[in-house]
Amino acid sequence: MSKDRRTFLKTSALLSASILIPDFLKAFGSFTDPKDYRGKRLVVVQLSGGNDGLNCVIPYRNDLYFEARPGIALKEKNRIALTDEVALNANLLELADLYNAGYLSIINNVGYPNPNRSHFRSTDIWQSASHENEFLSTGWVGRFLDANCEKHAVKPHQAIELDDTLSLALKGEKVKGLAFHDPKILELAAKNRILEQIVRGQFHHDDAHVANFLHKSLRDTLQSADYVYGQSKRYKSQQNYPDTDFSQRMKNMAELICSGCETQIYYISLPGFDTHVGQLGAHGRVLRTFSKTMKSFCDDLKLNNQLDNTVILAFSEFGRRVKQNASKGTDHGTANNVYVIHGMLKKPGIYNEMPNLKDLDAGDLKFTVDFRQVYATLIENVLNGDASSILGEKFDTLKFL
Amino acid sequence: MLRAGFGIAPWELDPLKNKPLSELVNQLFVDSEKYKEIKYLPYPLNEREQQEGAGGAKLVKLFFKSFAELEQLNEQWLYKMTHTQAVLREKLVFFWHNHFATSVNFGYLMQEQNNTIRRHALGNFGDLLHAIAKDPAMILYLNNHQNVKDNPNENFARELMELFTLGVGNYSEQDIKEAARAFTGWSLSNSGAYTFNKDKHDAGEKNFFGEKRNFSGEQIIDNLLKNKQTARFITTKIYKEFVNHEVNKGLIETLSDLFYNSNYHIETLMRAIFTASWFYDEQNIGTKIASPVELIVRFKKYFQLEFLKTKQLINYQKALGQVLFFPPNVAGWKGQTAWIDSASLLIRLSSISNINEEGRGMKLNAKPQFEEKFNEKRPDQGVQRLTANWDKILEWCTHKNDQQLCDFFIQTSTTSLDLNLLSNISTRDKVVRILTFPEFQLL
Repeated sequence: MSKDRRTFLKTSALLSASILIPDFLKAFGSFTDPKDYRGKRLVVVQLSGGNDGLNCVIPYRNDLYFEARPGIALKEKNRIALTDEVALNANLLELADLYNAGYLSIINNVGYPNPNRSHFRSTDIWQSASHENEFLSTGWVGRFLDANCEKHAVKPHQAIELDDTLSLALKGEKVKGLAFHDPKILELAAKNRILEQIVRGQFHHDDAHVANFLHKSLRDTLQSADYVYGQSKRYKSQQNYPDTDFSQRMKNMAELICSGCETQIYYISLPGFDTHVGQLGAHGRVLRTFSKTMKSFCDDLKLNNQLDNTVILAFSEFGRRVKQNASKGTDHGTANNVYVIHGMLKKPGIYNEMPNLKDLDAGDLKFTVDFRQVYATLIENVLNGDASSILGEKFDTLKFL
Repeated sequence: MLRAGFGIAPWELDPLKNKPLSELVNQLFVDSEKYKEIKYLPYPLNEREQQEGAGGAKLVKLFFKSFAELEQLNEQWLYKMTHTQAVLREKLVFFWHNHFATSVNFGYLMQEQNNTIRRHALGNFGDLLHAIAKDPAMILYLNNHQNVKDNPNENFARELMELFTLGVGNYSEQDIKEAARAFTGWSLSNSGAYTFNKDKHDAGEKNFFGEKRNFSGEQIIDNLLKNKQTARFITTKIYKEFVNHEVNKGLIETLSDLFYNSNYHIETLMRAIFTASWFYDEQNIGTKIASPVELIVRFKKYFQLEFLKTKQLINYQKALGQVLFFPPNVAGWKGQTAWIDSASLLIRLSSISNINEEGRGMKLNAKPQFEEKFNEKRPDQGVQRLTANWDKILEWCTHKNDQQLCDFFIQTSTTSLDLNLLSNISTRDKVVRILTFPEFQLL
């Protein structure tokens, strides 16, 4: 579709909309001023269930690795060597390509003190960026939104989670992100005629009344749903994404990014990493999905010149024990590697030392990089925010960006 | 009725209309004197195992019946909330479930904790606190079974002060360390009951709030109850839940004095709240955002709402942000505006439309459990098939004007609503609209 035709359609849609939908959409700046967002943005992929990082980034010259994992250590044919010391799981073939192109940075030994081995708790700690004995009801992205809304109006779609329910990470005190699986399904839900009438209706409450909060939230939601759906139609990916639920959600995300959607943060989870039993097959399959999807996603972004202003972080709530268990699987562990993908990395490759398999904490890896250092780096360099106030204290940033 | 219980069907309200308020309040307490425990899940050990003890791994296997059991228990409790006579008691069980937020994958133990809370829900807070401290599910959840003399685990001691009694900032790290020592040896037996392990207990002197004694765990709890801050902390939480999220400091002081002087008698505190004239002030009505569970029970009462499968009921709770027996962490659900984000708000407000259409078009694909195996396709949890009965509610509504309908369903004043939205539509459509109003979410 030509640019002119697109603009025409947009304008005509606006004209009819402005008759039907008065004030509440007029106040909606971006709708009347469809400038494509081309600033920096962050994509966070949560590998849910506890990814076995040691079988993703393999210290293949280290005897201790093979001794600890006689049944599940990866053999040569199942590895792709990156350096003389380090290999990737062969199921991460496309990540190896990204590595060779200089678009991937692997940060080892990321964690936090006194690690918690519960999925729920450790996920909360990562998502809220709290201390291990602190219970926060806001997430780190949510607090970034809160800080931003002091400067200007923040709409829910400034942070989007491609899922039906919103994770703690995107919940702020004042602002919360927008969760949906598919822009079309969101639009269907928001197109409830009664909701639209309520938004246009006359409801009278004192300013401070909580009912006003609900009405405002509803208005914001309908506006964001409309905006996102409108954007989602502007770019259709031609890449060949795998036919999985995660891949389709990543495709929806790529389409929003390439359409110029004014979203700064995207969040998504890929479940299936809790590999206690017979892990080689199951772990391999989920890694295949992850790797192939990331390739299609990066191809989409590159084609639209968006890989240079998009930073992708993939992490898991914890790694797994060094030693395999009796069921050829691994149990919940602690420190783990995280992956950063970006078109303009300052330090691509293996960012820091590999895990020390000699110096374990009761059989688990010790962390050397606090996960909040990774967040601080992203907040400062990608989101242009004040990391200390969002994280509650100052963490040294890293040099990958 | 909404604020002291889970609401009431309109046809049950009419006979109560002419009774004086004091009588109604009194009836609430009388109705809560008798109650039944939830005995849905049987004790999982046989007689021999009970005597000999099933032993670590086996015990875990016996108790661990997967999430399904907890989900069934969830459904049982919702049923009880909907149908019990003892509404006030059940409302308080719900409140304490959030206060002593616990989540372990042992259905039977969670059921027993729920019953323990039910026994003490309107009784003495001290008794409740002592019972919870020895509750097997709580011991497991806050790792007190791992709290031993040589290697104290501070988890329970910390939450006891931070979340259960004093609140943040009213104790020192030293107090936590010393209290943790007093709780060493509090553990579980092989049959899954509380046991005191004398060998693992640190009987030495502890310096707790400046007092040096060889405190036992029980004495630590008694000490915390003597501290008036505990009364203030609990009263504030109850006030926020039952009266108004914005606290009135003067009232909190008066009420916590009363609570403290009654030796933490919960019924006394609740009676004082429900009989106070300010409880019925306009500024204290319709200011609380209903929790998902309160919303669901209300629908159950009005429409006899049922989901075809337990899993769908659970998904609905997940999408709304509250699953009974699965609090997000030991701090519980935060409530009020924390319930609301774009996705959960859309689901809340379109609930009645979905009930109207018996779930057609309502699809909820909640995030899978962490433990679930990798699935290329997210298992399609399908359309939320549900059933609802409109006959009774429509029969009642047919004889009412718009004003009367809003007065029943909505807590904020009718003048705050846009009644134009109700003109020239059927009674059923009116009910759908009124229950879509954001004000319907307020209690």
